[in-house]
Amino acid sequence: MRILKSISGWLAAAVAAAFICNLSCFLFYMPFQELQRSAGSTTGFLLPLSCGVYGLEGYCRDMVDEKGYVNRDIPRSDEYYVAAGASHTEGLFLPMNLRYSDILNDTVWNDGKNHVINIGKSGNYFSVVLQHLEGILGEFPDAKGIIIETDSLCYDTKALYDSMVQTGYDPDETAASLVGKMSQRQKMIIKTKQALPLLRLCHKQYYTFLESRTENERSDILDPEFWQSEYDGDFETALDDLMKFIRSKTDKQVIILYHPAVSLNEDGTMTALTNNAEPYYEKVCKANGIDFIDMTQPFMKAYEEDHIIPYGFMNTTPGEGHTNRAAHEMMAEELAKVIR
Amino acid sequence: MNKSISGANITNIALLAVCYVFYAFFDSRGLVILAAISLFAYMGGKFISESVSHGEGHKARMYCILFIATLVGVLCYFKYLASVPLPVGMSFYMLMAISFLADCLKGNFEDYPSPVEVMIFVSFFPTILSGPILKAKDFIPQISSRKRLDKERLTKGIWLIAIGLFMKLCLADRLAVSVDKVYSSPLVYSGMTLFMTSVGYSLQLLFDFAGYSDMAIGAATILGFDIPVNFNLPYMATNPSEFWNRWHISLSSWLKEYVYIPLGGNRKGIRRTYVNIMLVMTVSGLWHGSTANFLLWGLLHGLGQMVHRAVCGNKKDANAGPVVRILSVILNFLFVNFLWIPFRISTLSGSWTVIKRIFTLAEGASYYYVYTFIFCIALIIVQIIGAKRFGGNDPIRPLPFDRMSHRIIFCMLLIATAMFAYFGNSAFIYAQF
Repeated sequence: MRILKSISGWLAAAVAAAFICNLSCFLFYMPFQELQRSAGSTTGFLLPLSCGVYGLEGYCRDMVDEKGYVNRDIPRSDEYYVAAGASHTEGLFLPMNLRYSDILNDTVWNDGKNHVINIGKSGNYFSVVLQHLEGILGEFPDAKGIIIETDSLCYDTKALYDSMVQTGYDPDETAASLVGKMSQRQKMIIKTKQALPLLRLCHKQYYTFLESRTENERSDILDPEFWQSEYDGDFETALDDLMKFIRSKTDKQVIILYHPAVSLNEDGTMTALTNNAEPYYEKVCKANGIDFIDMTQPFMKAYEEDHIIPYGFMNTTPGEGHTNRAAHEMMAEELAKVIR
Repeated sequence: MNKSISGANITNIALLAVCYVFYAFFDSRGLVILAAISLFAYMGGKFISESVSHGEGHKARMYCILFIATLVGVLCYFKYLASVPLPVGMSFYMLMAISFLADCLKGNFEDYPSPVEVMIFVSFFPTILSGPILKAKDFIPQISSRKRLDKERLTKGIWLIAIGLFMKLCLADRLAVSVDKVYSSPLVYSGMTLFMTSVGYSLQLLFDFAGYSDMAIGAATILGFDIPVNFNLPYMATNPSEFWNRWHISLSSWLKEYVYIPLGGNRKGIRRTYVNIMLVMTVSGLWHGSTANFLLWGLLHGLGQMVHRAVCGNKKDANAGPVVRILSVILNFLFVNFLWIPFRISTLSGSWTVIKRIFTLAEGASYYYVYTFIFCIALIIVQIIGAKRFGGNDPIRPLPFDRMSHRIIFCMLLIATAMFAYFGNSAFIYAQF
């Protein structure tokens, strides 16, 4: 009886402690609920009209719009751009108004309407975005232009051709449609997950722990030589075919926004971790009427003149991770120059 | 009457086996050296004890010098000369072996310990990696009269392990990621950033080492041993001497008992006291590492203590007013903080670069790690509570599990460790010394 009383006392203490810690997670880490799909403008979307808090890298408390993307709750302009890309564009480490899409909206137009619809989604890298080109055009037929953000141009000939394989657009795979078709059980699971951010944080911690075991093997990515590749005529042809493919799909303005990773050196300098593909992209994009923005020079200039490092936050480390507020401001400034 | 091997009970042999298995997990190569050092100390202690019991004080002293010199020689060889890495924990267990020999000379053992007891003492698994440094006269008698594991001991041990784990995984490792990044390329950053990073390192070192010590003391407590605290709010010290009474207390106490006092301590005049302080701090510096940085660090700490004695004499800082005390704490923290720079950076030129950039307020990238501020504020609050309500001692201590609120706090500590643990840079800093 005494043992039973002791066990129940400890269980009650554990539940109370978990409850308090879970409450604290609502201020620190409450991720969005992600839903996958097979066709559409992205690989998946976030639960529409939900709220999320991310405090592990930078800090943000953002809202999801009715289409399942992180956008401000303002009316959409008749003439708008779509900003596609991976986590840098999604920007779940910066408050919504500090992402390049929002800065652009505030600086170029600033009329209380959304002129740049952000459809950034973690994991939607350059090649993935291109595979969803038909999806983007299908879901946003009125878009004036498409911005494709990428932090890497390291794609070989095969990857370039693979990115032309389209996932297509299916009107039944929009957020509204998929959420409407959800079963009660699925809805309950989502509600439970939303109510228990502590479990999701512990789950994330567990995977971070497993990843940390292999961290040393990935230290090579900070070595500038890792990024250097040799390109030839076949690569240029494949790249040209890809740009022609994009042009065959749309005559809208297409902007490729490339921002290289950086490394901070012992001698006090910063190196942009570029590879040899940039000149090819510049040449081929120009030939096909696609705007190519290379952030290498703006990043280097900002560092050399004002010691601004484009990656990292005050709760992580400089030069690593995601683009910070300064980088988004620079990207918005460069985009503003080419937006028509 | 001396005990023989057959007198050692099964529990002790089992404990010794656990110690060796634990050690082999970290350094199987060093296992033979550990065993050899233990048996060497046992043998040396026997010679010394027998000489002491026969009234041959001179012979005993000669044996003691010979055996200690050999141990110091082996340590110096591995630490400064050998091309092979230093066996794990050697700096710690060598000091413990030396303490055993010195305690034999002082006749501190009623019964001469068995080889198993000496081997347990030298290889005691909770402390072998990073201390606390045990004294033979305090620890060995506990082996044969270990206290039974009761509710109170279990509670204290579990709490200390949980607190230590939290300090290591959530505080120290989280600070380490920022410190490592900035110190890997100091020319990138502004002077102010480098200063805040130095503060971050001061906190990291405290949480890392105090965290490990708490875990070691907690594990020892569960096993039935009493080990005194190793850290007691060191950054609340008002002068360099007090700092060393609060920081790595087991090392300071070891140096005081086995180096400072045998050298004459403060009994032979003020000049000799100064010389002794400098010698002790030089030994401390060299014990921590073989580079000029550590020597400089030790010398400057010695100098700090000398200057404080010269300026303040034997005046007690506790008698000073609150403003003077707060200013003394800040000044002493800054002194200790700047001396951690050569401690952390492996070269003198690198340390100089950082210090120069701090004092010239050099331009560079600004990076103020938010956790440095949060942990700094938390530590200040803990120190204020310690000063106001616990007589200047650490207020963080185990709470009995009888009350529901204490159980909830304990569970929250465990959950918070899982929530905020930083997984990446996880090597204990003091294990490398």
